[in-house]
Amino acid sequence: MKNNYVRLGGILFIIAAISAGILAWLNGATSDLIAKNEAMASMDPAVLEAVMPGAVMFNEYEDTALVDKIKSENDKFVDLLTAVDASDNQLGNVVRTWSTVSGYGGDMELFVGVSTEGKITGVNVVTHSETSGLGSRTTEPEFWSQFVGKDAGEGITDFDAISGVTKSSNSFLSAVNNAISIYSEYLK
Amino acid sequence: MSKFDIFKNGVTKENPILAQQVGMCATLAITTSLINGVGMGVAVIAVLTGSNIVISALRKFIPDEVRIPAFVIIIAAFTTIIDLVMHAYTFELYQALGVFIPLIVVNCIILARAEAFAFSNGVLDSAIDGLGMGVGYLVAMILLSSIREILGNGTILGFSILPESYEPMMMAVQPPGAFILLGLLIGLVNYLSNRKNRKKA
Repeated sequence: MKNNYVRLGGILFIIAAISAGILAWLNGATSDLIAKNEAMASMDPAVLEAVMPGAVMFNEYEDTALVDKIKSENDKFVDLLTAVDASDNQLGNVVRTWSTVSGYGGDMELFVGVSTEGKITGVNVVTHSETSGLGSRTTEPEFWSQFVGKDAGEGITDFDAISGVTKSSNSFLSAVNNAISIYSEYLK
Repeated sequence: MSKFDIFKNGVTKENPILAQQVGMCATLAITTSLINGVGMGVAVIAVLTGSNIVISALRKFIPDEVRIPAFVIIIAAFTTIIDLVMHAYTFELYQALGVFIPLIVVNCIILARAEAFAFSNGVLDSAIDGLGMGVGYLVAMILLSSIREILGNGTILGFSILPESYEPMMMAVQPPGAFILLGLLIGLVNYLSNRKNRKKA
């Protein structure tokens, strides 16, 4: 009788072990794709389109040693990403950085897209603490679209600040310029 | 019973939804649009056919006393396979079907076919039985989800087919509408099959 229980348990164990083996293999085979799908779903398409038109995904920059190097040398830098379109073509790089000049409520954090040709493709504010209705207007395309198409090879000095919102505008500009200096120093 | 009869049995006489009325929970929940209904139907076909094949192949190896836990392990393994594959390759559909993919494990039609058919029949017959039951499930899902998408959204597969002036019947895509429309659908199917039988008699 006792032996019978061992036999039943053993058979169940074999079935479970084979199932687990197959699932472990399949999990390994699909986990990369699943992680990619989840990452794509977590990015807001509106942000992608604003920073780099046509992009469906921002991937981690391949050369992680370079990213670590920039991090150690530029303390406002957050991350460097590669923008890709639906068929996995690289469209350019995206620098995520804080401003170097404080705005009215502190630093602002921006995505700055730079195309493979070295032109700014778009800017998106990730976080800011500016006054709603005043400094927050820097997040609107009416303001940041003036940077689109600018050469990312040299810092921008001449721009139209929003009237009455100079401090926030300057903070925004400093973040864009920090992205430009990172681009021209490490990526150009 | 011929091979074709085994197949036809699952689609018509013992249709899992329209005749046996099992696995209602997922049926009512996800049939809000045709694409969801088709996706769920295909997932069930895959799990049902796969588990039927493996269980009938192992029927001499699995002792009677532990057959239910053995069935559950095999069904759960197939469901997880489908879950992973859909998560990796059909991500939007996976998100739309949500928790109802893992819940295929507890869909009673699958355990019922394992117990009632696969455990006492050959591999080929069991495969055909799984396929037939699965197609029967799929057909019912297509019927119900088409009706709900057209009435509740004015579209089919996302394309507008009703004129602009049509006011979508919100209730059709909500759970109460699902119960009412499924009831009407089953009533219609019963009426048609009864009429056919009466003519024969």
